[in-house]
Parts: sequence; C-alpha cells; structure tokens
Amino acid sequence: MWDAFGFEFVNFYFIPGLVLGCIYALGAIGITLTFGILRFANFAHGEIMMSGAYLTWTIMAILGAAGLALHPLVALIPASVLVIVLFLATDRFFYKPFRKADTIKVVMASFGMMLIIRSAVQVIWGPNQITFVPGIAKPNPTLQALTGDIGMMILMPNKHIWIFAGTIVLVVALGYLLNRTRIGKAMRAVSDSPDLAHVTGINVDMVIRATWIVGGICATAAGVFLVMDTQMLETTMGFRMLLPMFAAAILGGIGKPYGAVFGGLVIGLAEELSAYPWIGDAPLLSPGYKTGVAFAIMVIMLIVRPQGLFKGRSF
Amino acid sequence: MKKTLLATAATLMATSAMADVNIGNPMAMTGPIPDLNAPIAAAVDLAAANINEQGGMFADGETLNIIRADSACDPTAAVDAVTKLINVNSVTAIVGPVCSGATIAQAESVSIPAEVVTLSVSASSPAITNMEDGTDLVFRAAASDAYQGVALAELAMANGFTDIAVSYANDDYNAAIAEVFVQAYEGMGGTVTANEAHEPNKASYRSEVATIGAGSDNLALFSYYGSGGITLMRNALETGAFANFIGADGMLSDELIEQIGAENLGTSTFTTSASDDSTPSFGAWKAIADAAGVPAADPFVANGYDATFMMALAIEHAGTDDRAAVAESLRAIASGPGEVILPGQWAEAKAILAAGGDINYEGAAGNQDFDENGDVAGNFSKSVIVDGAWAAELIQ
Repeated sequence: MWDAFGFEFVNFYFIPGLVLGCIYALGAIGITLTFGILRFANFAHGEIMMSGAYLTWTIMAILGAAGLALHPLVALIPASVLVIVLFLATDRFFYKPFRKADTIKVVMASFGMMLIIRSAVQVIWGPNQITFVPGIAKPNPTLQALTGDIGMMILMPNKHIWIFAGTIVLVVALGYLLNRTRIGKAMRAVSDSPDLAHVTGINVDMVIRATWIVGGICATAAGVFLVMDTQMLETTMGFRMLLPMFAAAILGGIGKPYGAVFGGLVIGLAEELSAYPWIGDAPLLSPGYKTGVAFAIMVIMLIVRPQGLFKGRSF
Repeated sequence: MKKTLLATAATLMATSAMADVNIGNPMAMTGPIPDLNAPIAAAVDLAAANINEQGGMFADGETLNIIRADSACDPTAAVDAVTKLINVNSVTAIVGPVCSGATIAQAESVSIPAEVVTLSVSASSPAITNMEDGTDLVFRAAASDAYQGVALAELAMANGFTDIAVSYANDDYNAAIAEVFVQAYEGMGGTVTANEAHEPNKASYRSEVATIGAGSDNLALFSYYGSGGITLMRNALETGAFANFIGADGMLSDELIEQIGAENLGTSTFTTSASDDSTPSFGAWKAIADAAGVPAADPFVANGYDATFMMALAIEHAGTDDRAAVAESLRAIASGPGEVILPGQWAEAKAILAAGGDINYEGAAGNQDFDENGDVAGNFSKSVIVDGAWAAELIQ
C-alpha cells in the first residue's frame, strides 16, 4: 500500500523518532542540569513532567468550562509557573536538608519524592486515564499537499509541528540563557567546578534555584508535548520516560545541556529506527524490544566513554 | 479514660476480627484497566453485602469481610498484595486477581505454596488451565481464552478478513490469546501477514504499525486499553495503516470511545466474555445489580459476583474458615447434584446447607461448573459501535 522508498522511512520511522527524541531531549535537560549542578540523579523528574501535564490539563479544563478554549502550549505557561513553585518548595523543604549529605541519600530521597508526587496525583485526579484531546489527529493537509507536489510527501499532524516548534524555541532560549546571561554562566561554572565557583563569589543558592526553574520549565514542556502526542494523561507516564531520559543525559554527557538534547534525539531515533526493515522485509529488531535499544546505548556508552559525547562529568 | 476507651476499642476490634470470615480480594484498582475493574469490584462488594444482609456466615451469623488490595494488573504488585493478604490478614481464600499475569504470578509464588485457594474473577489466559501442578488450588469464574481466541477467529472469518496482521502486548494474557487466535485463524484458512509483539506503555507505536501494516488492512489487536492499546490504535488510524480492527476484552472500554471517538471506531469489533441474559440466573442477578446501581452486563461484573458468592458458599459448606477445606467445598457447591441456587439466594442456600443438603450454584455469568482444572465454560459476545456506544451481541 506504500510506494517509493523514503516515504515510509521518513513518515513512519524518522519523524516519530524525532518527536520522541524532542520529548526525551527536554526531559534530559532537567536531569542533566540537576545531575551536574546539584550532583544527584533526580528520580522524581519523570513525575514532575507528569504533574506538569496534569496541571496543564486542569487549567485547560477549567478555562474550557468557562468557554475559553486554550491551546496546550498557552496553558503550559501558567502550568510551568505552578510547577516551578512546587519545585522550589520541594527544594526548600525536602532537598535542602540533604544538601551536605551523601549523594545516595539524596537519590533515595528523590525516589521517595517520586512516589509522593505520583500518589498525590492519583489522589487528586484518580488512577484512571484522562483524555487530553479526543479523536484522531490527521496529517496537516497543507504540508501534505506542498510536499506531495515536490514528490516527497510528508504526513505530519499539527501536534507534531507544535512539538518541533516548541522544542526549538526552548532549546534556543536555553542556549541564550546559558551563554549570554550572568546566571547562565554562573550555572555552567557551578556545573564545571562547584568549589571554584564558590570561591569566586558565585551565589550557589541562586544557581540552585535557577536550575530548578530551568529544569521545571523543560520538564513541564516535555510532559505536555508527551500528552499532546499520545493525547492522554496517565499517572505513570513520566516514570516510563525516565529511564530513556537518563540514557539520553548519560549519552550526551552529564552536566551538558546540549549533550542532553543531542542524546535525546539519538535515543528517540535509535528506538524507532531499530524496528525499520533495514535488511530484507522483516523488522531489524522486533518492535517489542525497542526499549532495550536505549539501554544498550547507555550501557555501551558507560563502558566505552563514561564522560559522554560532549565530555560531561564521569563518575 | 482515653486509655481505657482505646483499650476497649482495641479489644472489640480484635474479637470482631477473630470471629469474622475474611476473604482476600486483590483487584486491579490502579494500572492499565481501572475503568474495567471498578464495576467488578462493586459486584464483589455487592455479593458480600447480600450475604451479610441475609444472615452472614455460619450459624452465629459472622460477618463476611472482603479485604481489598491493589494488584494493579501487574505480576509484581499482585505478589506483594497477596503476600500481605495471606500472611498479615490471614484470609481464608483469595477471590481476585483480575488480570492473567497477576493471577499466575501470585498463584505460583504465593498462594499455591501457602496452600490457599485462588478463585479469579476474570483471568482468562489458557496458561492458567494447567498451572496447578498436582494441586487443586486455582479456580476461575471466567472462561478460558482457549475458547475466546477461537470465537474471535470465527468472527474474523465471518467479517470476510482473508488476511490479517496480529499485534499483541508482551504479557501472559495477550500473548496467550494471540497464539490461540493465530492457530485457529490459520486452521480456518486465513493468512496471518505479520505477528509481532509490542512493548506495553510506549509513547508511540508508529514504527510498529508501519512494520506490520505493509501486508494487510486488518489488525487483530491484543492489548490492554490503558497500557498502549489506545495509543497503538490511534497511531494505526492516524497513519492509515489499518482499516479494520478486532480484539478481545482488554480493549473493550468506554475509554476507547472517549479518547479515539466513536466516529473512528465504526470498523472495530471486540469480543468479551458475556452472560446469556435469557437464563433465570442472569435475571436474578440483573434485579440485584440494578437495585444496587451496578452495571449487570459489563465485562466480568457478573463473574465477580459469582466468584464472591461461590467462595462464601464454599466456606459455609465447609463449616469453617479453615483454608484446607475450601477447594473441595468449592467443587461441591458449584455443580450438581443439589438444589439450584441463583445469585442472591443466600438465606435459602444457608438453610439447605444447615440441614445437611446439597446445593448447585447456577451463576449469573454461566453455570459455573468447574472442570477438573478449575475452569468453567462460558459465552462470548461481540461489541460494535451503535449510536456512539458499545452494543454487545451474544455469539454462539
């Protein structure tokens, strides 16, 4: 039912891989920043994504009932403000007492935080799935017609166009923040060497707050993009994304936001492309096992080049 | 004063707990199918309420307690939940696990070694038939998919599908029914163009759909709606890889209509275990269920009532809440000879048992006569969209 080679590859493997990669990338930014600056693997990150998506849905539902239909990307802004408040409050009351403790204690604390957030969401919104946007997203007809005319038809629903655009905007903004602003430079300095940053008079507490804010915005965006893609909310969706996002952060190099973006795209593409029939007609790898691809990449990376592609911290 | 009160309360609680009959009830409260689970859990509670209203357990009218736990439709969670029920709550028997994977895992690692009877309300995997390994401890009140897979293959043939692609979630229930389906369908002369597992809970199934979609327009989808089934179906519809869908109970939920939209489901048919609503048993059940506001004809809801009622009858028959006596009594009350007991007739059954008579429970979901493997026969229905909602029709 499909003709020319390329059409199938681009539309059913490459673009979905990129969409998944964008979501992984945004999630991995927060993970890599907390890992680099606060020095612990934040297991609660997936739940932050999930709660951000639930908050976005709630804002849309409340305003929708008042007769004001919001685009998820607009509702994302107030939702990420709420998530940032939540983030800063957990940091103040939950993580701060652990600041000088062993890393393993903070990691376990974040694991506890993950369960607390998920249970809280289940109490408030219930364990059932919630529909984000009902129905089927058909490919954008303009894009289909335009690309069809030049013989390279691209089938992309609007939701994917929004996800790409949102990711590009966020990554460009992040690049500006880290390279051009004072706080961004301070964040990079703390990530490279906290002691040296401290003696040069950088306000470490300020940097930590900035880290939570940047991580919170990216996590909420990742969560919302994920529900825009799957069109439903469910309380374990963040946790399912967590391990591939860790793989992305490690692949790119811990503490390197660009590494995380690159790692996310590579992991997303690798997962989807592993099921492409590269040799013969059968899928290269049964799609049932594509999750394993992300972890295989992570394990190989940890053995061969533990500092990651972008020369991050190695432990 | 406060201390005395607390002590009195503690003593009261301790004595009442000792004099009650406790049945463990692990259900999939969270996990991939909470919407399917909720009415089944309500039916279990309804059965217990009926029993307690009509004189309770044994001669002194002890209360039947349903101790609920969350098995989350997940093998690990089920093992944890049932371990707690058996070791901490000391329940007499287990009425529960909704999902096949959860039932198998808890039976193999907890309830069979502890010699506690499990009566599942809806686990339908063919793998459960022969898993008892010489013991007689695993029963179920729902028919095996060894039958449903065949019914589905007949349905595919009746719908005129000469070729079909199969995609199943990699778990005990879905993999087993897919295998039965493929065998039966090929036996009837159909061509299976692709047969691939998919990993549950992925954000996207577009590559899966593209991979298996090249050869056929028809998809047999075996998945739980909440752990990937809806996403896979959505991806299949979005990419236009498939036009027609068939599948089994795991997908049959109103959630599917809400998320995908009834207008996109016109070519979908899903089968489920169903009750023959012309029997007097079903009539008795429907009256009870309607009065209590429980959806009588929803998937496995009648089975949930039957399982709880039969377990209570078995314990009443044994005359003790001792674990060892349950299996034999369960067989005794479920099939003839004996006075026929319909759903809700607890007082009648109690009187007959007290007089030393035999009873034969005829369930709402079917006659509930256990074969040597603890399985029951059953009916199936197919559901299609009519006026924006699922409409079920019994298939013979």
